Amino acid sequence: MLIAAAALAAVVVALSLRLRRTRRTAAALEERLAAAARGLESLQQAFARFAPAEVVEDIIAQGVSTRPEKKEVTVLFADLKDFTSLAEHLDPDVLVRILNGYFERMSRAITDHRGHVAKFIGDGILALFGALEANPWQTNDAAHAALAMRAALADYNAALGGEGLPALAMGVGIHRGTVVAGVIGSAELVEYGVIGSAVNLASRVQELTRAHAVDILVTAVVRHALDPRFALRALPPLEVKGLPAAVATFAVDGFEGPALAVSR
Amino acid sequence: MDASAAAANLEWGECLVPLAPVPPALQAEVRSAVGAVPGWLARLAPSPWLVRALCEIIKRPFAHAPLEVCDLVTLVVSQENSCRYCYGVQRAVLKIFGQRDEHIDALVRDAQVSQLTPAARAALDLARRLTRANPRPGGGDFEALVRAGFSRPAAAEIVFAAAANALTNRVGTLLALPPEPLVSFVASPVFRFVRPLLAWRMRRRPRAPEPAPRPDDGPCAEVVAALDGSPAAGVLRRAIDGAWASDVLPRRTKTLMLAVIARALGCAHGEGEARRFLTAEGLAPAELDEILTNLGSRRLDAREARLVPFARETARYQPAAIQRRMRELARGLSPEEVLEAVGIAALANAICRMSVVIDAC
Repeated sequence: MLIAAAALAAVVVALSLRLRRTRRTAAALEERLAAAARGLESLQQAFARFAPAEVVEDIIAQGVSTRPEKKEVTVLFADLKDFTSLAEHLDPDVLVRILNGYFERMSRAITDHRGHVAKFIGDGILALFGALEANPWQTNDAAHAALAMRAALADYNAALGGEGLPALAMGVGIHRGTVVAGVIGSAELVEYGVIGSAVNLASRVQELTRAHAVDILVTAVVRHALDPRFALRALPPLEVKGLPAAVATFAVDGFEGPALAVSR
Repeated sequence: MDASAAAANLEWGECLVPLAPVPPALQAEVRSAVGAVPGWLARLAPSPWLVRALCEIIKRPFAHAPLEVCDLVTLVVSQENSCRYCYGVQRAVLKIFGQRDEHIDALVRDAQVSQLTPAARAALDLARRLTRANPRPGGGDFEALVRAGFSRPAAAEIVFAAAANALTNRVGTLLALPPEPLVSFVASPVFRFVRPLLAWRMRRRPRAPEPAPRPDDGPCAEVVAALDGSPAAGVLRRAIDGAWASDVLPRRTKTLMLAVIARALGCAHGEGEARRFLTAEGLAPAELDEILTNLGSRRLDAREARLVPFARETARYQPAAIQRRMRELARGLSPEEVLEAVGIAALANAICRMSVVIDAC
């Protein structure tokens, strides 16, 4: 009887120990799962700045996105004028600092107006409006962003001047049109991007800012969609590479109304 | 850091509206409706229609949808909207009903990892899609709820539960309401002893079905009619009628805000309703087109010129940024006007989000 009780007690103790160990393992697994989920969530939030939420969800769930789609977006191209020659005369550390300061200020002006920076190309910026979420006001937002970029660059130039550094000059081209948006790239390097003639035209229009000696140019399509309170100046059509006909553009001189700063 | 700690660490400014005297009759009405006097009453009292709408939503006006699913929808929407106020309150409510912190965290992180039924998972999925509105949800999302096992009236109530939280979250976040004492109370040692009593007092009781109010000829009647058979129909009708009857902001201003939010969310029905009412107010279609296309016009008065672009920003926002924007907006507006503007923006967001899903468009 005593032996049976002792054996039973031993079994109970062994089972209790086993149960405790299992509980500890389960708790540890739960904690690891929770940590992984938190990591995934923060990754998802970070990615949402670069691609639409549903594309991010696809990538997380399946490793790929199968959602290339046609979208009407407003494309803003910005480039620094004569920066290459400026770069040759500056110390590399200073050059990178100037460039980073410029990118930071321009990116803020773009995101403040519901745009997103799709990529930096050398000293150029490709920004999209209406790509990450439907935005009926995308063209006005892009033009307001361009004006905010102009103001931000003026402030930045004042700061650079205070340090005895040269001022920067920028050209911005804006066009609106249909693009194919999706995850593009090779197995090693992919990005959420857009392709289409609208992107090329925005880039060409940006190049025309040099010929017209202005800083912000928009196409006729953009002009048609813009709030009439933007002060626009028609410029003579000029030929651009890759297009059969000359392109009519309009300089953006300002906005005759309250600045529509958008919170993001 | 768990989800509750993350929510507590959200950047949250000072409350935007001051404490105001509460008329005794309104206080008694609120106490009778929700069983206590919530902290927000002294902030929102200058806007009685908003107070009444919140009380009716808090009372869970559901006859068909499982109440525990509606409670989860409330939690998930509050978390999606990063509303520290509502998230804290709803978390406290779930704890009163006996949910453990770990379980709530798992729910918030991902419905898939928790022990939910497929129907409950479908409800939370809809709640997330309706809240994000990117891409715009639609009738297909409603049908998915039905396929998951909800009756059509229950599915409509779940949509209402999510949309109603679009309203409450915006009131909480845009005004930066301070946390309710209940939130800290559930973390106190005393809580575990009184929890059963609190749970009994707050126990979920489904309401009896109710026909939609007749006649239902006010703004957005089709959205209200889609809730026919649910007490939520009357709640929505009274909220809309109360908001539009209030004279703090002109009816035209409020309808313009609805039109802008409808356009931001791609809600053709909401925009159509706004057009119908604005035409009756004497605004020509071409003038409205100009306002909606540019979020401004010389035909707007000074207050409208500020409220119309602001309305657009309430469709999708980050709490800290929208609270900064609210502070700018509040300069030059009375607390009553601030409350009305926030209430209208919140209500319009709820109506349009609901409208696109229940296919009133």
